[in-house]
Amino acid sequence: MKPTIKPSLNPISKLSSVLVLASILAGCSATTTIDEYRPSGEAIDLNADERVVVLGRRDAGHYETDREFINCVAKRMQGADIGVVPEQQFIDSIYPWFEPRTAPKGLPRLKRLMQDPLIKGQVDQQSVRYLVWLDGSTETLDQGGSISCAIGPGGGGCFGFAQWDKLSVYEAIVWDMTNLQEMGRLRVDSEGTSYLIGAVAPIPLLTPVKNDACTSLGNQLKSFFSSPENP
Amino acid sequence: MLKKLFNKTAIKPIAALLLVGILSGCSSSASVQVTSDFPTVLSEPKPVSASIVFDESFSNYIAQPNKKTVIDLGTAQVKLLSNAFNGLFDDVEFVSDPEAVSGDHKLVIIPSIREVQVSTPSDNYLNVFEVWIKYNLEIKSVDGETIDSWFMPAYGKTPDAFMASKSSAIEEAAVIALRDAGAKLMLDFYRIPAIYGWMMEQQILEESK
Repeated sequence: MKPTIKPSLNPISKLSSVLVLASILAGCSATTTIDEYRPSGEAIDLNADERVVVLGRRDAGHYETDREFINCVAKRMQGADIGVVPEQQFIDSIYPWFEPRTAPKGLPRLKRLMQDPLIKGQVDQQSVRYLVWLDGSTETLDQGGSISCAIGPGGGGCFGFAQWDKLSVYEAIVWDMTNLQEMGRLRVDSEGTSYLIGAVAPIPLLTPVKNDACTSLGNQLKSFFSSPENP
Repeated sequence: MLKKLFNKTAIKPIAALLLVGILSGCSSSASVQVTSDFPTVLSEPKPVSASIVFDESFSNYIAQPNKKTVIDLGTAQVKLLSNAFNGLFDDVEFVSDPEAVSGDHKLVIIPSIREVQVSTPSDNYLNVFEVWIKYNLEIKSVDGETIDSWFMPAYGKTPDAFMASKSSAIEEAAVIALRDAGAKLMLDFYRIPAIYGWMMEQQILEESK
């Protein structure tokens, strides 16, 4: 009986395969930059009975800060034992003073709102100490290539190649609802390219640009606050 | 058993249903009924009494901003405005006919809709659905004298979501527009110059200070 010889790749082929795979995967990772400003370098103290609310800005004409992103950032903060009031619950409890038309765009307007005992009472009742405004969007910048799919009696498939660039830009501003002052600002830029390869079956190689922006912003916001459980 | 289940006659209706489902998902027409509830307004009402007339055409209002879109706004807008007027005035009566106004209230307000407009991503080349509701408030004193006819536009938009239906996106935008109408009313009603003047005349501002 003849011994069977298993075909094996030589080291150069192996190395080149690894390099190709690595370059494909590297192409699917987002480049994320975070800029941060806060008056003092120390973390903000958050007592066990104090909570944070994360709200999206929705007054821009051509985009909306989507709720999915707000919820994602809020979840990341909750994971660090920071009490987070759900966005819609807070907006409903204080209706109509945080609607797109009426929400304070700056501290002078917030100060005026907080002079209303009903509004202040609601904020205090929910123990909201800090408000985080999130403003931004994820946009497709550039797209190229083409992919076409066909189906016939003998079968079908997709052929071609398409790619698109996505950019997420979000800004977070932290307001102190007790002392009515700004505590800091964060800005996250995340950019990446996704690909769709049509080789009979469509193979998507997606870059989670928005998810990366959320993770980075959420983690950075967590570092803004120090809770008793997480000093 | 499986052969029986997946024979050609069984597959045909399933395939037809699937196709209908896919095609209805791609349909460009939308029939929307706004059924949302609205939060109570957080406001201290002023010592003003008012009769609000929601006539039948307003309570059952169905907007048709274009040939392919129908929005049933009637019930939702009555809910929303009732809530907002309760936050504006400390004594409110709601009637369905101007003839039914009791005469015990100082103001009579008759809301109506001038126009509803809708814009979709295919119209505006943005990833948002937009709804505009243009209200008109006919504001009269109890003796029938017109104080003002106030134009009150409201706007709502919602982002386009992958695989979300056009109807649900328009409904969400309409709910945001209705909430905006409530916000506009609460924010600006007492800033209307004619209302401000009327309140000065009635010495209501002095009472509410």
